Amino acid sequence: MKHPRLILSLFACVGVTLFTGCKTVNTIEPAQPVAERDMLSDKRVVTDSTLNRKVRVLGINQATGLGGFLKIQVELQNTTSRVQSFTYRVEWFDENGMIINLPTKTARPQTMEGKETISITATAPTDRAKDFRIKFIEPTN
Amino acid sequence: MKIKSFIPTFAITLPLLLAGCATQTTYVPQGSSRLVTSVGKINIQDFEQASDKMVTSLIDNLINEGKLRSGDPNEPALLAISRIVNSTGQQLETDLLVKKIRVALNRTGKVQTSTTVGIGGAEDQLAADQQKAQEFFEDKKHSRLPDYTLSGKIIELRDKAGSTRQASYVFQLSLSSNKGVAVWEEEETITKQGKKATVGF
Repeated sequence: MKHPRLILSLFACVGVTLFTGCKTVNTIEPAQPVAERDMLSDKRVVTDSTLNRKVRVLGINQATGLGGFLKIQVELQNTTSRVQSFTYRVEWFDENGMIINLPTKTARPQTMEGKETISITATAPTDRAKDFRIKFIEPTN
Repeated sequence: MKIKSFIPTFAITLPLLLAGCATQTTYVPQGSSRLVTSVGKINIQDFEQASDKMVTSLIDNLINEGKLRSGDPNEPALLAISRIVNSTGQQLETDLLVKKIRVALNRTGKVQTSTTVGIGGAEDQLAADQQKAQEFFEDKKHSRLPDYTLSGKIIELRDKAGSTRQASYVFQLSLSSNKGVAVWEEEETITKQGKKATVGF
């Protein structure tokens, strides 16, 4: 080996580059949570299995406030050790299954640290909204 | 070389090649994740995100909690739009934020917006004149004072590290009761990082 130092430096550089972005999240929460969640059984249509593997839906719970507006919360987990980005969009439907369109309808970008669990929430835009659909998409770039 | 034999091949392939060079313009639906995203300015999806957050917060903290009060028990609460200050270095149409919030609140059925009461005069002068004429002929006051006013500010913060540029846009809104008390306040920060404008976010 003519240049062991050079090779070592190269390995060090590659190692640093590879392991950057592999920071994972440590979490702590009560062993017996006080809150009781109304968990929903869900139906999933997976067309992007890569995203589905990386960002896993753990569960959906819902609640209705005094005003009759439905509120949902989706618990997601980044199963990888890397930062994951995706966008999600929530669609609301009335009692007849018709979509409720609003100018505030938007795709929301979301980023999760490695192994992180997050909850995304959405509130129905009207008390007529009875059902919902959530779409998860990987970023275009 | 039999050049003549290549001519039909050229004739067929050239239009196909040139067709691929044509600039394509496509329609992008509202709420799509394929919209142009730029660090240096507030894009349409940023207004949509900010207004969505504001409406959700208003519903969660005020409407769904049953805290929204109306001066007329038979009518939805009346909202007037106050000043939305643009503290960014950009020329902005604040209605891109406010109108979306107004529409969404109106659709809840719990809030209506006054078009005759506002900063710098009525938004709809014809409606204001009609209201005055009706009051004059019927000799009866028809105008109702707003129960709430909506005011706010948009702030911009820029930063740069190497070739990475970062811009944060802070949307701040307050809802004040007719007693001059802020009954709801919300802030939404949208931070974007990048080197150049991209499609998709």
